[in-house]
Amino acid sequence: MATTFADRLRSLTDEALGALIQLRPDLVVPVPSDLSALAARAQSRSSVARCLDTLDEFTLAILDAARLSRDAHGGVITVDAIVAQAAGADDADVRVAVDRLRARFLLHGPTDALHLVGAVEEVTSPYPAGLGRPAEMLEPQTAALAADRAKLRRTVLAAPAGARAVLDRLTAGPPIGSLNSAAMAEPVRWLVDNHVLVRVSDVGRMPHPAGELVELPREVGLLLRRETGPLGRLRARPPTPTEPVRNPAAVDSAGAGQVMEAVRNAEALLEALAAEPAPVLRTGGMGVRDLRRLARSLSLDERSVALLVEVTYAAGLLGEGGAASGSRAVHNGRATGTVDETFLPTTSYDLWRALPPAQRWESLARSWLAMPRQPGLVGQRDDRDRPINALSPDAERPGAPTARREALTTLAELPEGTAPGDAAVLELLAWQAPRRAKGREGTHRDALSGAAALGVTALGALTTYARVFLTDPVDEGDPLGVRGHPDAPGDTARALDHLLPSPVDHVLVQADLSVVVPGPPEPELAAELDVVAELESAGGASVHRITPASVRRALDSGYGAGDLHALFARRSRTPIPQAMTYLIDDTARRHGGLRAGPARAYLRSDDEALLTEVLADKRLSALGQRRLAPTVLICGYDQARLLAALRDAGYAPVAEDADGGMVLSRPRARRAPGRAPAATRPTDHPPVVLSGPRLAGVVEQIRRGDAAARATRRAPVTLRGATSTRTTGLTSVQAHGQAMAVLQQAVRDKARVWVGYVDSHGATLSRLVRPVSLSAGYLRAEDDRTETLHTFALHRITAAVAEEG
Amino acid sequence: MSGGPLIVQSDKTLLLEVDHADAQACRMAIAPFAELERSPEHVHTYRLTPLGLWNARAAGHDAEGVVDALIKFSRYPVPHALLVDVAETMDRYGRLQLVNDPNHGLVLRGLDKIVLIEVAKSKKLAGMLGSRIDDETIAVHASERGRLKQALLKLGWPAEDLAGYVDGEAHPIELAEDGWHLRSYQQEAVEGFWSGGSGVVVLPCGAGKTLVGAAAMACAKATTLILVTNTVAGRQWKRELVARTSLTPDEIGEYSGERKEIRPVTIATYQVLTSRRGGTFTHLDLFGARDWGLVIYDEVHLLPAPIFRFTADLQARRRLGLTATLVREDGREGDVFSLIGPKRYDAPWKDIEAQGWIAPAECTEVRVTLTDAERMAYAVTEADERYRVAATARTKLPVVRALVDRHAGDQTLVIGGYIDQLHELGDYLDAPIVQGSTTNKERERLFDEFRSGALRTLVVSKVGNFSIDLPEAAVAIQVSGTFGSRQEEAQRLGRVLRPKADRRQAHFYTVVSRDTIDTEYAAHRQRFLAEQGYAYTIVDADDVLGPPLPTTE
Repeated sequence: MATTFADRLRSLTDEALGALIQLRPDLVVPVPSDLSALAARAQSRSSVARCLDTLDEFTLAILDAARLSRDAHGGVITVDAIVAQAAGADDADVRVAVDRLRARFLLHGPTDALHLVGAVEEVTSPYPAGLGRPAEMLEPQTAALAADRAKLRRTVLAAPAGARAVLDRLTAGPPIGSLNSAAMAEPVRWLVDNHVLVRVSDVGRMPHPAGELVELPREVGLLLRRETGPLGRLRARPPTPTEPVRNPAAVDSAGAGQVMEAVRNAEALLEALAAEPAPVLRTGGMGVRDLRRLARSLSLDERSVALLVEVTYAAGLLGEGGAASGSRAVHNGRATGTVDETFLPTTSYDLWRALPPAQRWESLARSWLAMPRQPGLVGQRDDRDRPINALSPDAERPGAPTARREALTTLAELPEGTAPGDAAVLELLAWQAPRRAKGREGTHRDALSGAAALGVTALGALTTYARVFLTDPVDEGDPLGVRGHPDAPGDTARALDHLLPSPVDHVLVQADLSVVVPGPPEPELAAELDVVAELESAGGASVHRITPASVRRALDSGYGAGDLHALFARRSRTPIPQAMTYLIDDTARRHGGLRAGPARAYLRSDDEALLTEVLADKRLSALGQRRLAPTVLICGYDQARLLAALRDAGYAPVAEDADGGMVLSRPRARRAPGRAPAATRPTDHPPVVLSGPRLAGVVEQIRRGDAAARATRRAPVTLRGATSTRTTGLTSVQAHGQAMAVLQQAVRDKARVWVGYVDSHGATLSRLVRPVSLSAGYLRAEDDRTETLHTFALHRITAAVAEEG
Repeated sequence: MSGGPLIVQSDKTLLLEVDHADAQACRMAIAPFAELERSPEHVHTYRLTPLGLWNARAAGHDAEGVVDALIKFSRYPVPHALLVDVAETMDRYGRLQLVNDPNHGLVLRGLDKIVLIEVAKSKKLAGMLGSRIDDETIAVHASERGRLKQALLKLGWPAEDLAGYVDGEAHPIELAEDGWHLRSYQQEAVEGFWSGGSGVVVLPCGAGKTLVGAAAMACAKATTLILVTNTVAGRQWKRELVARTSLTPDEIGEYSGERKEIRPVTIATYQVLTSRRGGTFTHLDLFGARDWGLVIYDEVHLLPAPIFRFTADLQARRRLGLTATLVREDGREGDVFSLIGPKRYDAPWKDIEAQGWIAPAECTEVRVTLTDAERMAYAVTEADERYRVAATARTKLPVVRALVDRHAGDQTLVIGGYIDQLHELGDYLDAPIVQGSTTNKERERLFDEFRSGALRTLVVSKVGNFSIDLPEAAVAIQVSGTFGSRQEEAQRLGRVLRPKADRRQAHFYTVVSRDTIDTEYAAHRQRFLAEQGYAYTIVDADDVLGPPLPTTE
């Protein structure tokens, strides 16, 4: 077969070969050495699977038709047979689909003797078109039933309702059912008993009378599909949605509004993080609490904030930085433990902020399109039921950029303004490449919701600037667009720019002390308002309010009352209300009415002349004194030094404490802290007087303890050495034979001996015992003191010495 | 970009630039669904709230129309997310309906089965719902109609109340339009209310809310229960009803602390209804005393919490709320919506003033500088006494007299919050005082004298805040208040906003002590006025005490 395949490739024209390579680009990565190698690769599982992934639902169905027709016609495939199989579809469509398969060399050979590449079987479902295996491969009785079409039909028609439901389910495919469900047991049993279903085993799908699965034989499936055709319902054309269609201008407008929101929120997010950085978790990412805090301060939901965090990070506007010493103290108390790094705006942020809004958006949108992450996963739970954090490795999805492109390209291919809705887009994606779309619904959905949140789509349709953006080649040298050419915005930015409001340089000041900027403020105006007013509401315009606190802040940062009046006079299109003038003047009048400053010590006197003298005294000029009031001087050095210097200079100062009381400077004699004398200490409670049996018990206990202690004291030298930790055991260990001799003697004499032994913990102990027997490697001995019988392993006994009289 | 007058903000506020050529058209377009929050001179702020959107939905506006209005008048692109949110919020109203089923009585019907299942599971509705009739219908205990609506609003699925009303006991009432007519906005307000069934009409003080009430009674032609804030306000209602309708004094009863009359039209005070003996409300029977066809709530924004509870049981009767503002200091706007009804009519003050129904008022803040002794006394005062010390400074007295003298020909009200200060003022100005302890009879006498012009200057305490009709007051001088309440400011301004016989300029003065907490409270109160479009002028006390400046005349 391989030779034939290679020969066919060899017989192709250069153009045809080129076309194949275009259709299956992976064939030439790396470039094969010859056509045999190319043929081998084209028939490999991986290449065939990759090729199948690009095919649409209809073409895959036709491939299934080819497999069915081969089985039905003894291995020979003809185009006509395929057309016959695909009865539900238009002939021409089927032939075009067959041509597609032939062009990719999944089917090869002449039209009346096509061959299917073997690897197709390996990488596709074993049930073509959702049909089971032919009955003859399953079970003889079923095969017999299948062969008798009239009987088969009668049997199927006679099936009870429950059984019929099972059949319908299996007919729709896959043709395999599980027997676990108790509810289905009865109908399924009927079907199995009547040989309509065949039990197969879980492993290898081999027919087995006690298998856990049932399979619907192909003949039964085909019989039940006689209405729709053997392949089931066929969709030769993509389910292209045409409704609803929005006015493109309305779409662009809503999109542009969302663009402004996205850019503004991104900026607000980064500003919030600059003000209070979020710690980087040890497992990577940003904690849920920080995300919630940001959501609160931005008045957004956590999903949107997670998206913004991910996008700004991908755009390089947000990054990890070392915690500042000041903020570290704040975070130390947190449950996350010691934090070394925090999420902060990067230096690129400052460059980005200076760009016009359209370019700011473009850099965000491009980063979103390219980032291999799925922000929608943030807040969900992973396999181990732990929440997925923003910026954590768990939200990484390498397929995400492709999924986004697929979803957006699908939208872009629809007529302008078509707003099909997420479900229709997903269905279309599923038709275009069912094998690829399967399992990626979540990623696609996430792509669509991200697109709506960023203003790539609006009202469900793709915006015109996003169309430009999708076709616009990415400038490889400047993927972020931040250090690019601010004076030469790209096509996307240009397309978007005329939709966005132009910045305004004036404000409207009103009597309720609100200041309205009727549009996006120029950067300079924004900076001014940032200082002198509180932001109250943002969006298309921004509303600020002048409050005593905001005026004070402006005064603190160096504005004078005159500067503020001038600022509003210059910026305001409306007359300045009198209330505002009064507010500024009143606040300015009181500003600085109190002054605070550092001083280590003061010098005061009711005698102004005396203070003047001190101030004029050259010997004291090193103290750096300053006169605050006629009767007060302050000094930068502490009190002791001031006093000493004054005394040296011949003055007679007296120290004062913080309350103004005089402090006498007679030195104090050194004393230790006082203690209560012993006589006055509370005595212990008088002991309880014991009597009777309890007293006797105590006495006996003491005696026994005493006997034991004395015995220990009298332990022979050899043993004492063995029990002591100070001497090494080796020197004092007796020869084993000697110990045995002593013990044997003691058994005979019923005498007490001292036995030294190593216990199970390796400690050496000694015990005064009366040996009872010595056998089987064990010494059994009685302890008179505790009246228990001990067993010692002989190999553990280090010494034995008879008790000395 | 349309260059329109409206700017949509992310926090769902709408900024309307009033000087724009399309501003009027835009105001008409957004008024049904957005609530006017502030109306200073250049940019008015409206807010999109779920309540506002549901109010609009109740009035038959759909989400498409709201979105179109926003896009049409917006100067800048409107964010997609906001449009989606508006549509989704509006869609929540009316998914559930309260209707009268011929077989099962009051039922909750879900146009959306899933919503019905969702709310039926909620613990908040426990005990209110009866048995499930079918997939889309659940029986409701008739007594729970009000509480159910409250609970559903809290769940975010406000129900549309289509269960209708009882007609009540019929009683002939006609407007007696002899030589006067309902003003156009009053007519619109009544029509709005009547077609909606129940609801709230928002009109500023002095715009003739009583007449709206009378006209509503003429529509209902049924026995009516009127709830008012106090006895004086009740007598004023009675006077007005006798003068403007076919009702005779015998047909109108007063139900107050003094008298307990129940007549076809009964005017009761909140106070008597909420008075308790031994922990129970003793006058609840009034609600069942007659088969009332209409219940009117005067000053809805002051409605005490117990009245809400009684109102929950009155859901089968038509209810009309009258107020100058929906803003409640306790934030129970949602209860007003679900228990009395959606807002049926609203007109911004300035617009009504432009039509000439309300005297234009000039607001002036006079700042007095405390003497050094007073400053010292203020400086050492405990925090909870500071406002009293600052507000009752004696330095204010000559300033008040100077102001009274300046408007010697006008009827002047001097308003204060502290009794001692009022007595000082009374002595100083040689004017009578109306305070809490003044008997109703004495009050009536003084007010009558003031109305007739025999009395030029009147010193009033907090009792003056509510519902006393003193239309001839052209000057109000506020000396002290209660900690900067916005509501109080509106009421006090209302005193001088009544139409004057000769369209004279009204004056509203606030005397505050400079550099004290008094100024801060004053700033808070005036912010409300500035937001209503009344710019404050600030003058120094020395300018008042000295020769009159030509600019202030």
